[in-house]
Amino acid sequence: MLDVFTLFLFNIIVYNIPLLYGTTGEIMIEKSGSLNLGVEGTMAIGAVVGYLAGAKTDSLFVACVVSFIASGLVGLLFSFLTVTLQANQNVTGLTITTFGVAFYYFIGNALSNSASGWPKLSGTRLDVQSQAFEIPLLSKIPFFGKALFSHGILVYLGVIIAILMWLYFKKTVPGLKLRAIGENPGAADSLGVNVALYKYTHIIIGSGIMGLGGLYMGLNMGGTFEGSNCWINGYGWISIALVIFANWSPAKALLGTLVFGFFNTLRVQNAALAYTFPDTLGWLTKIPSHFFSALPFIITLIVLITSSLSSKNKSGEPQAIGRNYYREDR
Amino acid sequence: MEYAIELKGITKSFGPVAANKNINLSLAKGEILALLGENGSGKTTLMNMLSGIYMPDSGSIFIDGKKVEINSPEDSGKLGIGMVHQHFKLVERFTALENIRIGIRNEGRFLHGADVRKKIEDTAAKFGFDIDLDKVVANMAVSEKQTLEILKVLCYGAKIIILDEPTAVLTVQEIERLFAVLRKMKEEGHSIIIITHKLNEVMAISDRVAVLRHGEYIDTVVTKETNEKTLTELMVGRKIELNIERPVMDKTHPLLEIRDLTVKNDEGAIAVDHINFYIRGGEMLGVAGIAGSGQKELCEAIAGLRKIEEGQMIHEGESIVGMSPKKILEHGISMSFIPEDRLGMGLAPSMSITDNMILKNYNESKGIFVDRKTARIEAQKVIDRLEVVTPSTETPVRRLSGGNVQKVLLGREIKSGPNVLITAYPVRGLDINSSYTIYNILNEQKKKGVGILFVGEDLDVMLALCDKIMVICHGRLQGVVNSDHTTKEDIGLMMTGTVNIVNKEGKTDGIAKDSAITDEEGKA
Amino acid sequence: MRKYHLVRRADARLKRTLIYYAIGILVSLIIGAIILVALGINPLDYYGRMFTIGLVGNRYGYKSIEGLLKIFVPLLITSLALSLSFKMRFWNIGGEGEFLIGAIAASIVAFNSTGMPNFVTVLLMCLAAMISSGIIGIAVAALKVKFNTNETLMTLMINYIMLYVIRYIGETKADWNFFLRDDSERPKFGTFPDSAVMAGIPIGQFKLLWSVLIALALTAIVFVYLKYTKQGYEISVVGDSSATAKYAGMSVGKIVLRTMFISSAMIGLAAALAVSSAGTISDTITNNVGWTGIIVAWLSKLSVPAVFVTSVLISILQYGCQAAATQYPAIDSNYADLLQGIILFSVLVADFAANFKIVRKEDAKNA
Repeated sequence: MLDVFTLFLFNIIVYNIPLLYGTTGEIMIEKSGSLNLGVEGTMAIGAVVGYLAGAKTDSLFVACVVSFIASGLVGLLFSFLTVTLQANQNVTGLTITTFGVAFYYFIGNALSNSASGWPKLSGTRLDVQSQAFEIPLLSKIPFFGKALFSHGILVYLGVIIAILMWLYFKKTVPGLKLRAIGENPGAADSLGVNVALYKYTHIIIGSGIMGLGGLYMGLNMGGTFEGSNCWINGYGWISIALVIFANWSPAKALLGTLVFGFFNTLRVQNAALAYTFPDTLGWLTKIPSHFFSALPFIITLIVLITSSLSSKNKSGEPQAIGRNYYREDR
Repeated sequence: MEYAIELKGITKSFGPVAANKNINLSLAKGEILALLGENGSGKTTLMNMLSGIYMPDSGSIFIDGKKVEINSPEDSGKLGIGMVHQHFKLVERFTALENIRIGIRNEGRFLHGADVRKKIEDTAAKFGFDIDLDKVVANMAVSEKQTLEILKVLCYGAKIIILDEPTAVLTVQEIERLFAVLRKMKEEGHSIIIITHKLNEVMAISDRVAVLRHGEYIDTVVTKETNEKTLTELMVGRKIELNIERPVMDKTHPLLEIRDLTVKNDEGAIAVDHINFYIRGGEMLGVAGIAGSGQKELCEAIAGLRKIEEGQMIHEGESIVGMSPKKILEHGISMSFIPEDRLGMGLAPSMSITDNMILKNYNESKGIFVDRKTARIEAQKVIDRLEVVTPSTETPVRRLSGGNVQKVLLGREIKSGPNVLITAYPVRGLDINSSYTIYNILNEQKKKGVGILFVGEDLDVMLALCDKIMVICHGRLQGVVNSDHTTKEDIGLMMTGTVNIVNKEGKTDGIAKDSAITDEEGKA
Repeated sequence: MRKYHLVRRADARLKRTLIYYAIGILVSLIIGAIILVALGINPLDYYGRMFTIGLVGNRYGYKSIEGLLKIFVPLLITSLALSLSFKMRFWNIGGEGEFLIGAIAASIVAFNSTGMPNFVTVLLMCLAAMISSGIIGIAVAALKVKFNTNETLMTLMINYIMLYVIRYIGETKADWNFFLRDDSERPKFGTFPDSAVMAGIPIGQFKLLWSVLIALALTAIVFVYLKYTKQGYEISVVGDSSATAKYAGMSVGKIVLRTMFISSAMIGLAAALAVSSAGTISDTITNNVGWTGIIVAWLSKLSVPAVFVTSVLISILQYGCQAAATQYPAIDSNYADLLQGIILFSVLVADFAANFKIVRKEDAKNA
């Protein structure tokens, strides 16, 4: 019985770390005052490009670097269009999603149809490197040890990124400047903060982080390409929702990931739970899996509505979000 | 003389509008230079080129005798220039300390890594500032915010400090404190430019005065060798006596009576506090007060745009409390408010003059279609009568210059034939000639028997134009005075809350003797 | 030392904008061509096939036109609907979800319409779709008006919730589920009875569906509505400055609710016409019009005639890709999405070029 819970917790983490990447990446971007709706597309590009590079070189490290660079380039495109060219952020973000997902399928289909075929993951060194490993001692802690400390390296990287980002916002001067830009770019500008440079840098880094999340999803799905189902599968959108849930805090994003992940995992694990506890949880199997799939979106909708009822919960929302900054506008 | 700043041949245009034309200006080291000019004369634009917000189209800037290029606020800061903007550049959600920290250079990458707080506190102590560094800006009063702004530029080691209309939002006492700080800064060797259009302040604080007019540099004079009259002449370009006509009309019964009106502002604080007043037909009542004393909330309450907390508003014997803005409009009360950005309320900036003409009565035409044919004719009439400069009736209002925008707005308000006209800052940013056009329009309305509430900024104008002036301070009525029996100084004292003449000598100020409101209603 | 800087142009000339747009589209096609070359495909040949949408040398050319129109009609109506809300600066990006709601509502009528006259059934389908989509639109608008809830994210969530709703319907075998075929073991959407299939005017072999005529009429109506009616005027004012609208005595909340109802109801109508024309429903019935519509509306700067032209072009792009796929199986409809993205990026750049100019800074002569 304990095993079921351990497995459940384990799965929450395994399946939902991409959300953490997507959310922290988006938080970094939104803190600079930009709303990027292109998370889904950015993750898709980071996933497919990173995976292919990793498969080619058989190295997880290369996969991560390339994934980061590829999605960082998407971030560069977004910054160029919205920061330098003052394009509408909503439209640019949505186009990045359309473009990114199409890019994913296009490359995937082209490769699948080619002579060499889509590169397989299983059995490669890349596969081995991305496998879970047990952290000595910690993983031996009863109940929690296995669930928390026997994961692949990317899981830990995601958590570390979230914690570092939290410290960055809270404790450093560049973090303070970044938050100032998100709140009032005019004020930051007048104090000699290079608004455009900050926006570019953070949008690119944030996008790069999202890309890692995409790569993780690809690896986690065994690297198999299906013509009809994108690896990202809406996680980019959930990430945007999670940003609100986390009140723009990377630390709360960790918590949010667990909460959202709980429902997500319920979809996969409800049968196991019902089997173990037929009396108390037997009803779980009666709920269609689609409901669990839709649950993150339903919860976000509810969070959106309830948080708008009181202004307190939105204290982390950057005041200048979604608006472009042009110094000479009067 | 050694100069901290020299500007040579600075020109800057926004589209077809030249904001600065070939300007030469110099600031000596350790002096206080007043930059004087009417609204719209290009003072702020010029200073924004020093602070790196704008870049000049042509001309050159010398700092300490060296030619420099200021491409960004960062460049400006590095050259030792600090500007206190009229609209504060503060992050509302940050504390004072955090706001200052953003711009401090060379103190490490971690917020509390260096002894930043100590340094700021030392600077504050040196200039005698009393400030709580951990207070969040959103909770600060206006004067605190300004103190923070000044402390900020001092902490960054600025040697040249520019203040854009720093006194506009301050009380008399606060202004004196500010001036004391400025003198102290001067003693410490700072060079200061202060933008203002208030002559008494110029005389009190500055060493020299530079005058701009319509974007052109006029002259620089030594303060001790000049007087207010000469400065006025330099500023407006010709010898003028304020010679505004004030027709005396037979006043009729009170058209609009306001009793115990209490209104809250957007933040939920009381903005208008139990105010009583009335307007008769054929009368112009001025409203004087420091900016932000509740003028906006008062106007919005009467127009039905803001919920009132308490009180009565009776128009021709009928209560307008709780009526929709549209109903109030139909009753004959018309409100025009010129906000600081001039376009925010009352006009749809991207739409044509024609479309703006029918903003309030588009619904009156029959059927489902908008009647643009009549609207076009009306637009043309307003353009002709008020001499609006525009390529056509179909030009978006945003493309017009400030004065023309205001003429369009006022033209539309009058067109609907109201019997109570509420107008706030109608001459904001206008040159003298356009202002006179507006005064004439208002007087014409007055002669027709319209009751006018004139919310203004310039006391001289109000004394000349209005029959009576109601003074408010922090949303409270300080008294209603007759323009013929009062002085600017008296009103000034009332504006700052020093003097309150309400209910003196048994006079219930702001309540008409022939009120349409019975005692019982008044109490309700 | 920086010698150049950017200045916003004071005037926006239509001609200049159009020229820049054309250049932008050309550049996108060149980028697209490079991708094709990289895959070993002759781009001229491919583009030739794409833009002729398989008409040339096809005995069943009329089928191509019919196929194109089936893409075009929902896209046009959805883009119009979205322009309506965008004009009000209301970020309705829930086109997908609203479309699905409409499609489901229309299908409920359709599957239960056996024996009813065709005209009545289709009319009922349209009404059901418009009302159900419209109600969602109103609900979102009400939350926005009342509590200032973020409409962008709200509508976004609805898209995904609805996607799972329709998947649930399509993948659940149950007694109540009349959406599915009875004769199939695996869950599979059924086809509509004839009473619910869109009729049309036969022109030779070609059948001009009523839905096309409805879409054209709707375009004209929306054009007039926005440009000449009082309600259209109100939408413009609210979009331009809601403070001004309030000041003018307009009840902004009511206008937002009304416009969002119309906007979502139109998307519902598009869905009803789409399912009726297809004779069935599926979870891909939207053909991404909710997303593409946003791009179309933005490319067109919310002008109705431009929306019409852009919808035609995007439909040709999409259907052309499908048509060319018969010849080039390696390149599927994703190429159309890819190209669409590149076009929008280029046009955003073009838009910037049309609105800003680079000014050379003169050095003062006395320096």
